[in-house]
Amino acid sequence: MKTYILTRVILSIPMIFILLTIVFVVLRILPGNPVTAMLGPKAPPEVVKSMEAQLGLDKPIIIQFGDYIANILRGNFGDSTVTTLPVIQELEERFPATLELTIFAMIIAVTIGIFFGSTAAYRYGRPVDAIARIYSIFVYSMPVFWLGIMLQLIFGVWLKALPVSGRASPFMTPDNMYTGLYTIDAILNGQWNVLYDSLLHLVLPSVTLGVVISSVFVRMVRSNVLLSLSSQYVISARSRGIKESKVLYAHALKNAMIPILTIMGLQFALLLGGAVLTETTFSWPGIGSYLVERIRYRDFPAIQGAVVFFALFVVVVSILIDIINAWMDPRVRY
Amino acid sequence: MSNILEAKDLNVEYLTRDGNIKAVDGVSFSLGFHETLGLVGESGCGKSTIGLSLLKILPINAKVSGNIFYKDKDMVKMPDNEIRSLRGKEISMIFQDPMTSLDPIMRIKNQFFETIRAHFPKMEESEMVKISSNVLKSIGIDPSRLENYPFEFSGGMRQRVMIALAIVLNPSLLVADEPTTSLDVVVQLQIMEVLKELKDQKDMSMVLITHDLGLVAEIVDKVGIMYAGNLVEFGDVDSIYDDPLHPYTQLLLVSIPNVKLEDMKLKYIKGNLPSLKSPPQGCKFHPRCPFAMDICLKADPPTFAVKGRKVKCWLYKGEKDGSRKTDTASIG
Ligand SMILES: Nc1ncnc2c1ncn2[C@@H]1O[C@H](COP(=O)(O)OP(=O)(O)OP(=O)(O)O)[C@@H](O)[C@H]1O
Ligand SMILES: [Mg+2]
Repeated sequence: MKTYILTRVILSIPMIFILLTIVFVVLRILPGNPVTAMLGPKAPPEVVKSMEAQLGLDKPIIIQFGDYIANILRGNFGDSTVTTLPVIQELEERFPATLELTIFAMIIAVTIGIFFGSTAAYRYGRPVDAIARIYSIFVYSMPVFWLGIMLQLIFGVWLKALPVSGRASPFMTPDNMYTGLYTIDAILNGQWNVLYDSLLHLVLPSVTLGVVISSVFVRMVRSNVLLSLSSQYVISARSRGIKESKVLYAHALKNAMIPILTIMGLQFALLLGGAVLTETTFSWPGIGSYLVERIRYRDFPAIQGAVVFFALFVVVVSILIDIINAWMDPRVRY
Repeated sequence: MSNILEAKDLNVEYLTRDGNIKAVDGVSFSLGFHETLGLVGESGCGKSTIGLSLLKILPINAKVSGNIFYKDKDMVKMPDNEIRSLRGKEISMIFQDPMTSLDPIMRIKNQFFETIRAHFPKMEESEMVKISSNVLKSIGIDPSRLENYPFEFSGGMRQRVMIALAIVLNPSLLVADEPTTSLDVVVQLQIMEVLKELKDQKDMSMVLITHDLGLVAEIVDKVGIMYAGNLVEFGDVDSIYDDPLHPYTQLLLVSIPNVKLEDMKLKYIKGNLPSLKSPPQGCKFHPRCPFAMDICLKADPPTFAVKGRKVKCWLYKGEKDGSRKTDTASIG
């Protein structure tokens, strides 16, 4: 297992390097740079020149690339051209928001996926099954931001029941930060009103993201549970008097989860795309909205940093999923 | 209560998109306590369907009618809850393919425990370990292997584990659906030996489903011959072997590789099993029957009682003693 994880980490290094190169090249090919984005088209040329020199943008591309890679190898992502703060520090500040949103969305997606998907499989061909199929097609074809805006409209504007942007109301952040996840920190501090407030803020964004992800889950769970329900060990478990609920969850679903986890590991990068859109829609101060915000300013170091961060996140999560998979499936030996 | 099991006019139909399949067609038989019944027939004749209906674990597209009395209670009408409490405790089943019959990601131990707990929710773990170890030992598997996963066993060992799981709660009836078909010959005989010991040592009744009449001859007391969903002959094993009445039984016996046959050639029955969706008019066997008469093409024969046996064949109409004899040699 250890060597397996090590191999995975080592294999991900070239992948991240290629990604770094692509981001670097794309940013330089696209029109505009941090200086023009900041100063606008009417800025005097000498000001532009001096600022470009200050940011090192006047050097030949290949030198810029060498500096960039050399810095990253030292763990230095450079300073933001907008705030002049170190990018790594900004990412660290914003990452917990993304993590918290992703975790809650995952909980929602997995819950919907498992219950809806396995019930649909169990009641194959019945109304629940039809509803599940319509649900997943409908949700799959729904743009993330559209669902987000609709929920904002209904629950925020009309019903005025839930906050539609940000992570917390003013003065409602945890006193002491341990993890950066507001819900966890609020619990650790015993600030129950803060916990309540942050949960309220989490509802709409995590439901939006969770529902969107759940469409894929429902389908995967349904088809895989359907497959394992028809397998011989299910019939044989029934023949021993095992309760139907146990047959479904302890045997059929558990076996179905193994291929599902594998696919999930592969799809995690796609899920993050949804996270970026959700963060933008709900002004959620995570890495996704950071990325979108800084693209507008052509904040090269920030964009590069955020992309690498996402890549690392994907690598870590897919390794975690592999570990869970190995733990669930005794036949897997790395 | 003289019989542990009694099927009366059992019918099972599979509803499919393109027509219904009558897999079991008016089957009646009975099985006494401590008796073993061999259900024999070609592939697709409805043997497994009967086996599954004895535990009421048929696929959802199956429609059952008739009666199956287990200890005088009709299982066809029994509520799900009650029938579930019988499965594994009163009636157990083992299946053809031991490689897929165990949950691949669950330790053997836990498959035993969940089976015991399904019927005795309050039993202590130590007690469950004891029971499971004993039954494994009795079947020739080291109890330390409770910790293993199914993939750590060979096919023959897995079938032993399956048998152990089926008998861990001492059921009164064991249904074995071709338990040796997917195993190699040496292991086949070992598993048959295990079943024979079970029959002798525990007071268990058995329904042994097979397409190999030769393999089960030693262990069964009664034999039911099936053809295209019908039970065409039913009676004591010895009388059926010595004096097969139904033409199909006669052909089956001839087709067994038999040392008594001079040419030692494997005989087989000409033709194929008819379609169960649109079976032939009259007797379903008539297209392959060497003795087919006019009436066989027109009317499905009822079951006649002949020589203490039951035969579904027009040849025995009105013959109480079964004096009508067919010549086996001429059809071999
Ligand atoms: N779920 C199902 N839906 C539709 N038809 C089915 C279903 N299960 C079985 N059948 C059909 O019912 C008939 C009887 O099947 P069954 O499995 O009982 O035969 P069998 O005698 O056990 O055969 P084998 O020796 O191959 O195991 C076959 O024609 C089969 O194709
Ligand atoms: Mg079968």
